[in-house]
Amino acid sequence: MPYRQIQTIGGRGSSPDRFTEALRGIDVDRGGCLYAVGDSELKVFGPDGVLQRRWITEKPGWSVCVTSGTDPVIYVGQEGQVQQFDVGGRCRSTLKDDARLGLVTSVDVFGEFLLFGDVAHRCIHRYDRSGRFVNDIGRDSKAKGFLIPNGHLDFRVDDRGIIHVPNPGRHRIERYTPDGRLQGHIGRFSGTDPAGFSGCCNPTNLALWGQGNLVVTEKAPPRVKVFDTGGNLRSAFGTEAFDPNGKNMDVAVSARGAIYVVDTVRLQVCVFAAVDAPG
Amino acid sequence: MSKEPTRRDVLGHAARGAGLVTLGGAAAYLAAKRGRADAWQIDWSKCVNSRLGATGVPACDKCATTCVLPLSAVRAVNEYAKCGRCYICPAYFDVTSPVDKDGLPSKKLCPRDAITRRPIGEIDPHDPANNYYEYLIDEARCNGCGKCVMACKEPAGLGSIRLEVRHDLCLDCNRCPIAVACPDDAYIRVPTGTAPFAREHA
Repeated sequence: MPYRQIQTIGGRGSSPDRFTEALRGIDVDRGGCLYAVGDSELKVFGPDGVLQRRWITEKPGWSVCVTSGTDPVIYVGQEGQVQQFDVGGRCRSTLKDDARLGLVTSVDVFGEFLLFGDVAHRCIHRYDRSGRFVNDIGRDSKAKGFLIPNGHLDFRVDDRGIIHVPNPGRHRIERYTPDGRLQGHIGRFSGTDPAGFSGCCNPTNLALWGQGNLVVTEKAPPRVKVFDTGGNLRSAFGTEAFDPNGKNMDVAVSARGAIYVVDTVRLQVCVFAAVDAPG
Repeated sequence: MSKEPTRRDVLGHAARGAGLVTLGGAAAYLAAKRGRADAWQIDWSKCVNSRLGATGVPACDKCATTCVLPLSAVRAVNEYAKCGRCYICPAYFDVTSPVDKDGLPSKKLCPRDAITRRPIGEIDPHDPANNYYEYLIDEARCNGCGKCVMACKEPAGLGSIRLEVRHDLCLDCNRCPIAVACPDDAYIRVPTGTAPFAREHA
């Protein structure tokens, strides 16, 4: 399925709708608004790419997650903590756990549980909404964690509560139950076949779309890949849209199927849509 | 009564004397070199093999091919604190080669087979990807061709490998042919004792 770039949001610069030093994490809400964290701010862009609002985070944000529902909550993963905001930018609470939380490079929510990807401890921590620690995911291996030499741990939880995690050092995407049992994985190393993952450590970032489709990003060369529920490659694209030195490019998918990808060098978000997608 | 020295004694003393002179000369030479105010060094932020931003270009092998020594005084060094100990190291494997039955690239990258790969701890027999590996560079084999440096550079790798001038090997030529040939002016003279160059974006 071919994709084409339809929009570019942000960029490097000092104006309010741009980023000066870093753009690290994104998410898209049901209405197609883009939430982007970088520098020490969270910026919200409308579906047209125009900046709507922004606010300061306590520490530089590394990841962001927007919940759906009537009262959306925005979680921003930071070093040693996760801040929780309402859509107006008011900080509701901050979950701190000095003993357990390292650098939170991914956040997701499922039911009554909050899940935080911690690159410093190479695992996913699961908490309940009151902030009580429940369990770790990904530690039951000889390596005692995910193999992430690229320095970024990403994951997403699907509608059934299954956690999909890129394990870039192993060149695959693994599936875990909420209590941390490995269910299976897709992917393999290949330096030549686009269906495989190349280099030392790919894929680095992941988003879910529709009924079990996986959208991942790779580095060196930077590109986007779409896999179906069976783990079959459906599309690979985007290399020419990104700076070749980009890495750990966060990805999100809108309800309409548009794919948002961070260019971590140019500090912008590239938006792609399937060629046959409506408008 | 003293014994007349034989021809063998004289030759032996002469040989020992010559050896001492040679050793002394070498020591003096090395001492002089150490005492020099400056020495050749590679600026990693300029060298195309390690300079961030220079991607999709072939590795530069001028250090290997233009040094006056039979085996260049420039060697690759792996900084273990930065090394990811990857299952598939792009500096060790030719990652563009076909995969073998174990799912690994079938060829090595180094043309002189100067890098060895050793598992850390016991191998997981059920899942080879579930292991860390140590990568050691045999400096006696390395000629500083830079292929591994380019392959390990970010974003493909972690940038733990770099080229360094081995000052115990370098003849300290005034007009170093590597410096003349270097297309990036990365081979420069620096005051001895200078801290290694900081890695910076180009």
